[in-house]
Amino acid sequence: MVDTRPFLPVSSHAGSDPTGPSENRRKPMKLQLSIFFVLLTVGFFAALLTSNNGSDNGFVKENEHGSLASPSSEKQLRPVSRGPAVGVSEKSNRLFAKDNENQLAYPWNNSMLSWQRTAFHFQPEKNWMNDPNGPLFYKGWYHFFYQYNPHAAVWGDIVWGHAVSKDLIHWLHLPLAMVADQWYDKNGVWTGSATILPDGKVVMLYTGSTTENVQVQNLAYPADHSDPLLINWVKYSGNPVLVPPPGILDKDFRDPTTAWLTSEGKWRITIGSKINKTGVALVYDTKDFINYELLDGILHAVPGTGMWECVDFFPVSKTEENGLDTSVNGPSVKHVVKASLDDDRHDYYSIGTYHEKNGTWIPDEPKIDVGIGLRYDYGIYYAAKTFYDQNKNRRVLWGWIGESDSEAADMQKGWASVQSIPRTILFDKKTGTHLLQWPVEEIESLRLKSYEFNQVKVQAGSVVPLDVGPATQLDIIAEFEIDNEALEKTTGSNVTFSCSSSGGTVERGALGPFGLLVLADDSLSEQTPVYFYIAKGSDGKLKTFFCNDQSRSSVASDVNKQIYGNLVPVLEGEKLSLRVLVDHSIVESFAQGGRTVITSRVYPTKAIYGAAKLFLFNNATEASVSASLRIWQMNSAFIRPYPNDKESQ
Amino acid sequence: MTKIISLFILEAVFCFTFFTVSYSDINLIQTNCKKTPFYDLCVLTLKSDPRSSTADVPGLARIVADSVNAKAIATLNQISALLKSVKDPTLEKALEGCIVSYNTIIQADIPVAIDAIEKNNPKFAVQSATDAGNEAQACENSFAEKASNSPIFSGNKAVHDLSVVLQSIASLLL
Repeated sequence: MVDTRPFLPVSSHAGSDPTGPSENRRKPMKLQLSIFFVLLTVGFFAALLTSNNGSDNGFVKENEHGSLASPSSEKQLRPVSRGPAVGVSEKSNRLFAKDNENQLAYPWNNSMLSWQRTAFHFQPEKNWMNDPNGPLFYKGWYHFFYQYNPHAAVWGDIVWGHAVSKDLIHWLHLPLAMVADQWYDKNGVWTGSATILPDGKVVMLYTGSTTENVQVQNLAYPADHSDPLLINWVKYSGNPVLVPPPGILDKDFRDPTTAWLTSEGKWRITIGSKINKTGVALVYDTKDFINYELLDGILHAVPGTGMWECVDFFPVSKTEENGLDTSVNGPSVKHVVKASLDDDRHDYYSIGTYHEKNGTWIPDEPKIDVGIGLRYDYGIYYAAKTFYDQNKNRRVLWGWIGESDSEAADMQKGWASVQSIPRTILFDKKTGTHLLQWPVEEIESLRLKSYEFNQVKVQAGSVVPLDVGPATQLDIIAEFEIDNEALEKTTGSNVTFSCSSSGGTVERGALGPFGLLVLADDSLSEQTPVYFYIAKGSDGKLKTFFCNDQSRSSVASDVNKQIYGNLVPVLEGEKLSLRVLVDHSIVESFAQGGRTVITSRVYPTKAIYGAAKLFLFNNATEASVSASLRIWQMNSAFIRPYPNDKESQ
Repeated sequence: MTKIISLFILEAVFCFTFFTVSYSDINLIQTNCKKTPFYDLCVLTLKSDPRSSTADVPGLARIVADSVNAKAIATLNQISALLKSVKDPTLEKALEGCIVSYNTIIQADIPVAIDAIEKNNPKFAVQSATDAGNEAQACENSFAEKASNSPIFSGNKAVHDLSVVLQSIASLLL
């Protein structure tokens, strides 16, 4: 007989299946529904569990209800430097422990604020400035360009400011060189560098932030090469000339360097970036500054250093006391790679060897590689850039010095940031690992009346006033000798010292601190020590530290109170030497001929104008020191707009 | 049988997707808020803004910046109200100083932070957020009564803590 039932999947119990066809169809439906609800429930619980995971790790729950103190944290909130980014771990979670006994919250009056303006450091007449751009010497003038906000004393609306000088000290302001008038730099005319071609012409490469916030590189050049003031600039019609390459994010591609020649006669530049958390320097070759080829390799990379901003790459002579053109290479030459680390707002450099064939660079000492070793400056100093000054055959360094006061004060005074005094850069032959920075010699033209002090003895635990008249514009050169007996007799210890974690000058050691108190008032209620601290290890070896202590620099509570500084190598037979430039709210200090440098911003409320004094101090417990100094009053550089009648426009 | 299996898979995918998609934005919030010192405040602030469900990390930073701004405006209004009826000169001086601080937060710090985040130059957002927290702190410090909280303590604390959250999240963009 023919089977007239619809075809059904054969069951294993085909013979003895008691259920009819209709019941067979209902079973899968029930199964599916129950599976659906099981999954729904599982998903619900999964979601519940994952959302609970977070709140179990919550911080400071107690504080949510307004209680002042978090018992675990010891630190109270301190105003944080706006220069170096302070990590969250350093910044307190606690709020409002109001036991800054002698601190004033709002001391600022116009007298105090207007005192802060510098007399001989470069700064525009008003508003915000940051990175130095495209410095060069051309037809008798030093040119300086800079990141500038024409509208406010805070960062924003960035364009290129411009100024010229005959001597790197007396600057004259010129009109803005470049503004954000193209789609490819609408959101920022950012940092760039100049290259002088063999025929003397100038090209400028700079980063533009496009209307879509993509970082691209653009070419610009003077409108009129016969104009020594280089007032007008033209942007290449085919810009941008470089866009972020594959593997590089739109937001991690900026600050092209000055170009140098390769042995093949091409121009080579490097641009900083990052890949995940590894800072890198990309390399491009070009013949015309318009078409580029990205090299397969990179110049160098260091893991964990984050984004490399304002990369700089230049040669230094191992033997000569002069600078080298960026294209120079050879056996007596070392190359420096420098990067500004976005993560911590500090400038780092390292000395090594450049391998021209494949465009790579290797540090001499990997332990002090870029970003993990030496800094140009241990204070507030960023986005530095060098240029080869063919006028005087030297390499000159510019650095941006931001403010470390509150933005409220910056808004009130109507300006923010200065540039460091330009510094010459030389390879330190004695250590082989350091560069030496020194203020350009032209600054000596500002020296007025001088004062000399010879072998002034400063006993342990004492302060000696130095009568130099007004003490807000000074050039100080000092040498210190520490009592030899104390050096030998002191017992060493294993305790490690660092300027930033020390208690500043109130923390007394056997062999330090000792040095100068600048911008100090008579009662020393405000003082900024610039000093040495010698630590003796348990092996008898001496380590010298060079520090700037801002903790008592002002009674105002809204300024940076950190202690800056680092180890400074002091070699056999060397005396401790110091140079300090005091210029109102900026102090630049150089130890051992510029081996270790610290720049600070200082905002006293009392130690200003005629009330600012200078002292020698020695807060060591064992050693006495003797100091010899030459101190000059410094004139103003009278930085002002270029006189209208002389302008070619 | 294959019908059942394919339906089963479809349902499984549907259920898990439904729940994971609606909770993935929560995970971004949690992951990033864990990196700030004020986890609960961070989560609360972000969750209460509808933009957070589709925001990336810069978007989350933007939400926090807006929140700092809102709290600052509210606190500024509080300060202005107190100034209208203040009699004590020391208190008046403190309140006037706070006006300056809060104007700085609203007119400078927050706009710069938002601009910097948008323009992918986050270090200026970190710097501005730090300053905003410091301004709130300076305001709180300016009140003479050191043993007790100022009359605008909760506003100052909110602005300060949110600024720290903003600083932390902006640091993640470096």
